[in-house]
Amino acid sequence: MTLIDMDSLTKVFKKDLTKKKVCALNSLTLQVQEGEIFGFLGPNGAGKSTTIKLLLHLIRPTSGRLSIDGKAASDKNVRRMIGYLPENPYFYDHLSAKELLWFGGKSCDLNDETILQRSAVLFKMFDLTDAMNRPLRSYSKGMIQRAGLALALIHDPKLLILDEPMSGLDPMGRKKVFDLILQLKEEGKTVFFSSHILHDIERLCDRAAILINGSLVRSIHVRKDLPAGKTLEEVFFEEVNKSGGLRE
Amino acid sequence: MNGIISLANITFKEGIRNRALFGIFIMALLAFALTVILTSLFMRDIVRVAASLSLTTITFSGLLMVIFIGTNLVAKDIDKRTIYMVISRPISRAEYIVGKFLGLCLLIIASIVFLGIVSSLPVLLAGLNYHNPQAIFSWDIYFIALIFIAMKLMLIAGVIIFWSSITSTSFITLILTIAVYIIGSTNEVVKGFLDMKMEGVNISPLMSAVIKFVYYIFPNLSALDLKVQAANGLSVSAEYLVWTSAYWLLYTAIIVSAGALIMERREFP
Repeated sequence: MTLIDMDSLTKVFKKDLTKKKVCALNSLTLQVQEGEIFGFLGPNGAGKSTTIKLLLHLIRPTSGRLSIDGKAASDKNVRRMIGYLPENPYFYDHLSAKELLWFGGKSCDLNDETILQRSAVLFKMFDLTDAMNRPLRSYSKGMIQRAGLALALIHDPKLLILDEPMSGLDPMGRKKVFDLILQLKEEGKTVFFSSHILHDIERLCDRAAILINGSLVRSIHVRKDLPAGKTLEEVFFEEVNKSGGLRE
Repeated sequence: MNGIISLANITFKEGIRNRALFGIFIMALLAFALTVILTSLFMRDIVRVAASLSLTTITFSGLLMVIFIGTNLVAKDIDKRTIYMVISRPISRAEYIVGKFLGLCLLIIASIVFLGIVSSLPVLLAGLNYHNPQAIFSWDIYFIALIFIAMKLMLIAGVIIFWSSITSTSFITLILTIAVYIIGSTNEVVKGFLDMKMEGVNISPLMSAVIKFVYYIFPNLSALDLKVQAANGLSVSAEYLVWTSAYWLLYTAIIVSAGALIMERREFP
């Protein structure tokens, strides 16, 4: 069953003063199936974060159609089934991780008891139990990333959207996120994530899409469609070279 | 609704732990201590002086608090992209604005309750040390004046939220809010001057129309200022309190709703 359905999705930004138009995403058509781990690849400025922001309705498409589980992405209730980790997350300085998760749970209509139970499990999973009452401003970058993952999971979402989830993590942290994504797949969750670490995508994903200069250049089943003897990294560089490099 | 309540809750917690608030409270406590010293220099109307100084201190401290914390509330969320964390939950942009406003209102109420209790000490001391049976002072009016200070600060919070929905720059929000505060505090006096129609003073029809426009568009903040009545123990009619409260409620609701509508159209690239 299709969970994410993007049809000719286009996003054009206008620069403030010059009104010059920049096409960040050009007619992207892509489907993500339920229970899939989907990797979103592309160089910086390819349109990965723009796509994620469209999925979360942080920005609106210039044209095209976007639905999640059959509902328009603009419907706020759709976000009840989404857990999101932004790239370089930044939370409120004076709140503790416990308060952050309380907010995450309450905003999704969980009751206090459920929030407490799930928070305890997630803090244990992400080694934050000892730090859960400390203000978030005292957290290291890795701890912030882990708190962000706990926040994304507090309401047991059906779909996880992770923007560069491994960024800023040490090898242990990366291993933890890696194992977490595999565990989520076992639980039947759908994970849509962007990453520059091609090796991780190759090992984790069922499918991957390569985006260059706002256009989808290739969508592949990582285990079936990779040409014999070639790694995802090699395919990725081939596609970047074919596209004639990156635009300014 | 849970989204608004949870957002108001964390906005309040984030605000109450802000170091700027501690600085403002310390300044207010020093001003209350100074009030005790200053009142000892007066020979008469000591309670009046103490009440007037205490209410002025609360208004000034509250204003500093609302402006310093309020102007950064939305701008910082957008600048640091904390807004991604909020909007990616089932919370609409309009609910975000209302939640932030309510959080700021909770902060105002908590601060006014704290400062109001502390401020009553210099007034009590003045009354005890220089007992004058002829002095007219009413605690009822004093506490009504405190409630009206809180209402005035909430209206200013609504103005801040409105400007924040238009601009992401906290400095512009600050400047525009201060402009509204100055106009709102003086527009009744200017309109009163216009209505007096003094002999020999000619006001052009255009200027007269501009003054009337400003009077009706900008909030009438002086209507919410009961310091003089509280300090002098003057009675305030129930009718005045009801109509002013209705005006405050309507103006605040309109300005926050306008901010919410504008925010609904915004994007966060």
